[in-house]
Amino acid sequence: MHDESLTALAAAIRARALSPLEAVERCLERIRKHEGRIHAFITLDEEGALRRARVLESEAAKGQWRGPLHGVPVGFKDLCHVDGLSTSCGTRIPAYFTSSRECTAAQRLVDAGAVSLGKLNMTELALGAFGDNAHHGDADNPWQSGHATGGSSSGSGAGVAAGFFAGAVGSDTGGSIRLPAACCGVVGLKPTYGRVSRAGAMVLSWSMDHLGPLAWTARDVALMLSAMAGRDPADATASRRGVPDYLAGIDGGIRGFRVGLPENYFFERLDPEVAAGVRGAARQLGALGAEVRDVRIPDAQHMTDVSMIIARSESSALHSAMLREQPEALQPTVRARLEVGLAISAHDYLQALRLRSRLTRAFIRDVFDEVDVLLTPVTPEPPPALAPLKVATPEAFNARSSRFSSLTRPFNGYGLPALSVPCGFTTAGLPLAFQVVGRPFDEARLLQLAHAYQEAAGWHRQRPPL
Amino acid sequence: MTEQRPQQAEVAGMAGVIERLAGELALAEEPSCFTVALEGEDDAAPDA
Repeated sequence: MHDESLTALAAAIRARALSPLEAVERCLERIRKHEGRIHAFITLDEEGALRRARVLESEAAKGQWRGPLHGVPVGFKDLCHVDGLSTSCGTRIPAYFTSSRECTAAQRLVDAGAVSLGKLNMTELALGAFGDNAHHGDADNPWQSGHATGGSSSGSGAGVAAGFFAGAVGSDTGGSIRLPAACCGVVGLKPTYGRVSRAGAMVLSWSMDHLGPLAWTARDVALMLSAMAGRDPADATASRRGVPDYLAGIDGGIRGFRVGLPENYFFERLDPEVAAGVRGAARQLGALGAEVRDVRIPDAQHMTDVSMIIARSESSALHSAMLREQPEALQPTVRARLEVGLAISAHDYLQALRLRSRLTRAFIRDVFDEVDVLLTPVTPEPPPALAPLKVATPEAFNARSSRFSSLTRPFNGYGLPALSVPCGFTTAGLPLAFQVVGRPFDEARLLQLAHAYQEAAGWHRQRPPL
Repeated sequence: MTEQRPQQAEVAGMAGVIERLAGELALAEEPSCFTVALEGEDDAAPDA
């Protein structure tokens, strides 16, 4: 069962070929076998999952279905508040984050029938691109032990790839869904800013935070997004737009899609295997009927810098109590990042927010007049070995982390939907991925492109050698 | 103090970015224009 996509699993349950209880028990068996190495969980809720699976099983027997995810095992990043479970946010304080309301995105998946297996590992306070965590254990890459899973939603990416659950919720402030998706060989979506409510989830940066799904396939992610997205009175930044059926046109092919490969910024100083993987995917998209061409885009370095100033300022303000009262409880790398934010002036923060608006308007106008989507790498290098990184100074570690997220961070600033899609492996067997970016609220087109690519390329059928 | 130096350099770098980029910002440019850029200026966002 760990080989099956979320879509296949949901279909098997609906066809009564598999019961919700069997699905959960098989996941738990897999977790017992491999969690000692993978460290995908901070809180495994075995009892709660079994209890819920029994209820869903009995409902299924009576022909009662909660929704399209009835009985499907999932996991939530440990910054989502779920009643009855503590939320550490990757810190050593078990209940670092509390909320009077459930995380809307997680609750909507549960309402659609999903079964939560628990709360997932993450880098401390969602700060960091590699997936290390001194308090809960470094998440380990299922494809190759000792290599980074990507962060900060490390347990979300590693757990899907390890077959612990069929889908996961992650959060993304500078790449934290797309980086683990890329490093772990699964699909991860950072939706448009405001597409998915952030209510009930710990805030790292209210201007840059996004919640989104990770799973094996674009179709899985479409199914999850359909359940998660939409207006939420509890989040003033959630868009009032209606939610389309993301599965409706997913099989429509990509003939005539205008795909742009940026000539500048995204392919500079790139690992050759990453570049070859993305260019190979571009050729495949061309063979499927897309019109692929090189394009020159507004300098994304400006948005990277502006986004960094905003994210650092907001995260330091939000977590200043922890920094002031228990600095020794924070990992040195995390403390160093928060301290930088304390020194940014109000003037620079506000100018950065004003610049963000101007840069976003210009980017949307200049890019999407010419193409429908942009195709870029997700990371500048394959998942690195973690141990050598950890012996660096906090400043050197953070500089490497910033470089690792330099291709994803601009799209948090622009607020545009961005999807990470696996596109092969390095000669050493580590996952490669491309990122496809679209117009605001055009997630359906990204998923359609990714689905066509996956069906043709077939990388999503491979599994880690666990 | 030595420990502070890399952070001070990073903050100074950020201030330099703002100084370089923000010079030509129009007076009407405010943070909420970001949401308008995403949602569309014709208020194309129908109620759900």
